[in-house]
Amino acid sequence: MTLDSISRRRLLILGAAAGAAGILSGCRRGQSDPTTASGSTPTGSIETESGNLKVFEWAGYELPELYPDYPYDAPKFTFMTSDEQALAKVASGFRPDIVHPSVGYVRDWVDLDLIQPWDPSLLKNFSDLNPSMIEAGQIDGQQYMIPLDWGFSSILYRADKVDPGATESFSLFFDERYAGRISWWDNPWMMVIAGYVRGFSNPWDMTDEELAMVKGDLIDAKKVVRNLWQSQTDMETDFAADDIWITYAWPASWWAMNNEGLDVTYMDPAEGRLSWVEGLILVKDTENYQHAHAFANAWASPQSGEWLISNYAYGHANTSISLDAIPPELVKLLSLDDPSVLDEPRSHIQQWFPRRVLYGQIWSEIKAA
Amino acid sequence: MVRPARSTIHQGSLRRGLATLALVLPPLGWLILFFLAPIVLVGMYSVGGLTLYRNDVYLTLDAWSRFLDGSVYLALFWKSVRMALTVSVLAVLLAYPVAYYLALCTKGRKYVLLLFIITPFLTSYLLRLLAWRVILGSHGVVNSFLLWSGMRRAPVEWLLHSPFAVILVLTYVWVPFVCLPIFVTLDTMDRSLLEAAGDLGASRWRTFWRVTFRMSTPGVLAAFAFVFIPTIGEFVTPLLVGGPKGFMFGNAIADLFGPGFDWQTGSVLGVFLLLVVGVVIGIFARSMRLSEVTSR
Repeated sequence: MTLDSISRRRLLILGAAAGAAGILSGCRRGQSDPTTASGSTPTGSIETESGNLKVFEWAGYELPELYPDYPYDAPKFTFMTSDEQALAKVASGFRPDIVHPSVGYVRDWVDLDLIQPWDPSLLKNFSDLNPSMIEAGQIDGQQYMIPLDWGFSSILYRADKVDPGATESFSLFFDERYAGRISWWDNPWMMVIAGYVRGFSNPWDMTDEELAMVKGDLIDAKKVVRNLWQSQTDMETDFAADDIWITYAWPASWWAMNNEGLDVTYMDPAEGRLSWVEGLILVKDTENYQHAHAFANAWASPQSGEWLISNYAYGHANTSISLDAIPPELVKLLSLDDPSVLDEPRSHIQQWFPRRVLYGQIWSEIKAA
Repeated sequence: MVRPARSTIHQGSLRRGLATLALVLPPLGWLILFFLAPIVLVGMYSVGGLTLYRNDVYLTLDAWSRFLDGSVYLALFWKSVRMALTVSVLAVLLAYPVAYYLALCTKGRKYVLLLFIITPFLTSYLLRLLAWRVILGSHGVVNSFLLWSGMRRAPVEWLLHSPFAVILVLTYVWVPFVCLPIFVTLDTMDRSLLEAAGDLGASRWRTFWRVTFRMSTPGVLAAFAFVFIPTIGEFVTPLLVGGPKGFMFGNAIADLFGPGFDWQTGSVLGVFLLLVVGVVIGIFARSMRLSEVTSR
């Protein structure tokens, strides 16, 4: 046996040991309760904090116009691509101070012990926020989300090519007259829509029987679908190129297609529009507790809201925004002059999925079928 | 004769051993950290050795048994195998004449031409995919021509967002890459064998089939493997041009790790794909060795 061969053997042992150490550290990371970091406290002063605020944010929301009164150093942004990706990334060790998820996922963040409640008394603009959205951001009486942006989820269709019938309905998604011209969102929310079309009492938490019916409906209806979109830009490209006439969309797409000169209608279906709310959540043990509140307060300001609505065609939770500053088409599109627009049954605010894994599995099976 | 002291030999060997260690350790560490460890972690997720979400079940083979017990994912896997086979065969069939021409019919500028052929690889994959959307759309280049020429009254809709689009785009993407291994085997072939075949009275077709093609078999097999292995787990192309019927196994894996919230089943699918790819690589490696032996 030569010294070289011994070295190689030792090398392999060393490598295996390093790998095992890495794997074990991964295991610990996967199962540990991430509460070991020393965070700043609600009673600490802002001067004692590092001020290097880290925000896990949607691309496009990093612009300073959306937090105009934040007086400290510009936050460092990392971009999330979906609620699921953000949750998985933070659950597996990534540590921002603030994340910007949808309201339907807040309970998941709480269940994984990743976030802490906000102190609304530190937010001057909090009292101006929409009460329904504030309530949606609460769990067990604690304000885990500061609601900020919102919008509808409904059908966008070409008014010059599509006849929705006497009553506008989500069933247009399954209309065989327009086979090959229909696009669905690639998300279990399509199951919720199918549940509302069936008239189920709570499509966000369907029973096994209801899920089986919805699954069958969607598999049957899949033949009329041209595409399942994951990227809003891709969907708008297809729509503008005349490949798609009927699509799942958010209000911003109506605005974009209207600006393209297309004759488009954003449907107000008989089943009620779905609506989504997003906002900021505060990661547990943040070292920038006070800075995070200052940032959330800046985002919650009416100036931020005016800019968001006028430029992105999304709603904003602040109710003191002057509608005179908003283009009238957008006021109409989002029914900003109607304080009850988000109330049931006209609108169904996004809810937490108690059976999220099952919904995800069934949605995958629908697509794979 | 003066014999070197035992300690001098020992020091020399030790130095060589340390040098080897210093050279090998970084790539080995890289492989362990970024290849083996992630695979082990995914494997552990697949049996519940690791869990991420609260609903995940600890230490169970349920996800494996659900997958293997006739799940839709297994059917989807076979669909992906069929699509990958189609793409691989098409890519090799299209690349072979190009490689043949470059290796055996051109003289001075073969490498310049080869560079031109692989030029698409220097541009963004996403950009090339999006270009195909423009070409295949209802008002794209192809449909516009068909309508203008009167060959069709309405656009051909299955050109985009269909399995056809996935196969077409993937074939286009892989053809230049597939040219390389075939070109190398043909270019390094002993030309005197062709002359010998001709001298012995073989026709051009017989010479091609019995000599040229046989000699290029390792390159063909390598090319086939280069396409088949990545294509079977492909998910970006089906996502952008596949539509609801172009959904592939890779998309199901991405889904389960994303909106599906089911890392356990996603890991099962991932590990299964890895095992299949390992088996395929083994088979191809063995075939290539055998064909090398038989071609000599």
